[in-house]
Amino acid sequence: MSDLEEHRTPVSLNGLSEDDLRLQPLAKNPQTVERVIAVTFLVGTLFVAAFGASYWVNAKPWILGATMGAGLFLLGVGLVAWGKYLMPRGPFVEERHTLANSDADREALAAAIVERGGSVVKRRKMLAGILGGGMGIFGIVALFPLLRSLGPLPKGTLFHTDWKKGSYVVDQTGRRVNVGDLAIGSIVTVFPEGTENSDRGQAVDQTVLIRISNQNFTTQKGRETWGPMGYVAYSKLCTHLGCPVGLYEQQLQLLVCPCHQSMFNVTNGAIPQFGPAPRPLPQLPLYIDANGNIRAQADYDQPVGPGFWERHRVTGSKV
Amino acid sequence: MAAAGFLSVAPLLLFAGSANANSLNPPPTTRKNAGTPNSTIVVKNKSGVVVKYGNKYITYKAPSSKLDALGQALFMENCASCHGSEADGVPANGTSGAYPDLVGLGPATITFWIDSGRMPAKNLAAVQARRGQPALTPFQATAIAAWVNSLLPSYPDIPTPHLKNANVADGAALFALNCAACHTIEGDGDALAASTFSPSLRNIPAFQVVEAIRTGPANMPRFTGNLSDQQVADITKYVTTEIQHPNNPGGFGLGGLGPVAEGFVGLLLGLGLLMLVCYWIGDRS
Repeated sequence: MSDLEEHRTPVSLNGLSEDDLRLQPLAKNPQTVERVIAVTFLVGTLFVAAFGASYWVNAKPWILGATMGAGLFLLGVGLVAWGKYLMPRGPFVEERHTLANSDADREALAAAIVERGGSVVKRRKMLAGILGGGMGIFGIVALFPLLRSLGPLPKGTLFHTDWKKGSYVVDQTGRRVNVGDLAIGSIVTVFPEGTENSDRGQAVDQTVLIRISNQNFTTQKGRETWGPMGYVAYSKLCTHLGCPVGLYEQQLQLLVCPCHQSMFNVTNGAIPQFGPAPRPLPQLPLYIDANGNIRAQADYDQPVGPGFWERHRVTGSKV
Repeated sequence: MAAAGFLSVAPLLLFAGSANANSLNPPPTTRKNAGTPNSTIVVKNKSGVVVKYGNKYITYKAPSSKLDALGQALFMENCASCHGSEADGVPANGTSGAYPDLVGLGPATITFWIDSGRMPAKNLAAVQARRGQPALTPFQATAIAAWVNSLLPSYPDIPTPHLKNANVADGAALFALNCAACHTIEGDGDALAASTFSPSLRNIPAFQVVEAIRTGPANMPRFTGNLSDQQVADITKYVTTEIQHPNNPGGFGLGGLGPVAEGFVGLLLGLGLLMLVCYWIGDRS
């Protein structure tokens, strides 16, 4: 304590005696702690130097990380220990004066603003008008990129897929699906031939082909010819938000959407049994040609995927 | 490539399975006997029954008929109380349809359920049987499969995958397309509809992966004509290597649950530790 005072300007301790506990370090034996901290700093410095050296020689990344990490960690530990064990332990409280001005000062300022404001600051209607016009036009211009970034208009593409009368049903490799291919309880994702590698094919045309029987299967009244030899096909786009409905539970005969757990009854026209989906998955009418290939009778009879404003124009449905 | 692989094994199609299925005239959702072996290797016994088939990716072997008697005894002891003494799902004094009918499901179905410890059922009230310690040895399972198969010979037989011929990268793509929807991309399994779930794939021997793909146990769809043996071997190799022995940077996969789990651990451990350190730094008395 005494040798420190030699180098420093004496400060008022506000009536604290030098023996006050708050001025003493926390460590019982400051000399030892100082030595430990010195060693910590030294080793940390060595690590930092080693980091520089290993950077210089292009060492492996983990060596760079380890040396830098260890160096900074040890310097930090030393610093914290210095503050914690060697500095006066405190706490010290400094009282402060009131911050507010006197009442007279505040009244004078208010009077000055009122007096000068009326004569110096004038309204500039022309400038305000031009500025307002500019800001208004900017507001309108700011809408342009918003509208442009919506992309090209979908036109008819929302209403039709690439499935056509006679489209061959192919899997993701382009192989035509034959009536002998699927066992009962099997599922495969299929596309109209030629679209299996296109963005549009994978986004819009994707369809799940499920074999639920080995006899013609009717999922709903009016669809008597749509499921030849137990093959039924539904659009793979969830009618809620368009996620791929790929989870087929073949005992429960449910198609489950992985996004929001909508469940569609496979044996009953894929009507939604649970979840937020508002409509059944559209069913693709199929037939089997003379070679045993599975083909589409026609496009879907309604737009696939989630709803949109103009949807009711083709379906007459509100949802 | 995959299509070419399929076409090369296609010429030897045996439709024994589907012929049987037609004569059964089953209800609409039955899964019986839908498998047909399409193979480059076909071995028949003296009476002309196919006992082994397959190719360089997977070979399927029928259980020996010498095991029939043992299998029947084991079946009566372990299975018949539910599945009935005829393995048709009708227990004594029971009603038809109360329990699964096992006739014509193929030996691989029987061995899969027994070898994975799901059967004999430990909890009859459970919605879905869980994988566990098998109660019967693989030999006993094969014997039971032999007897059930003797009632109505059917496919698929018990598979042996030859994974040195398989391509793990193709398997990853096929897994993402066909399996990940339910089992998740990390293979951990997930919840499904009506209290069912897709099980984890982390600890499953290769032949059972093939059995599950080919037979479609419980709610899993079966993959037959839409996946060639080469493709099934690719998937199996991917599952038994990358899925079961993932390379986790940092050493701990956290169940493969992604940023949610990682963020949670980061908050709980990382932030917690930092708070303790801050407390230690600030604490002076």
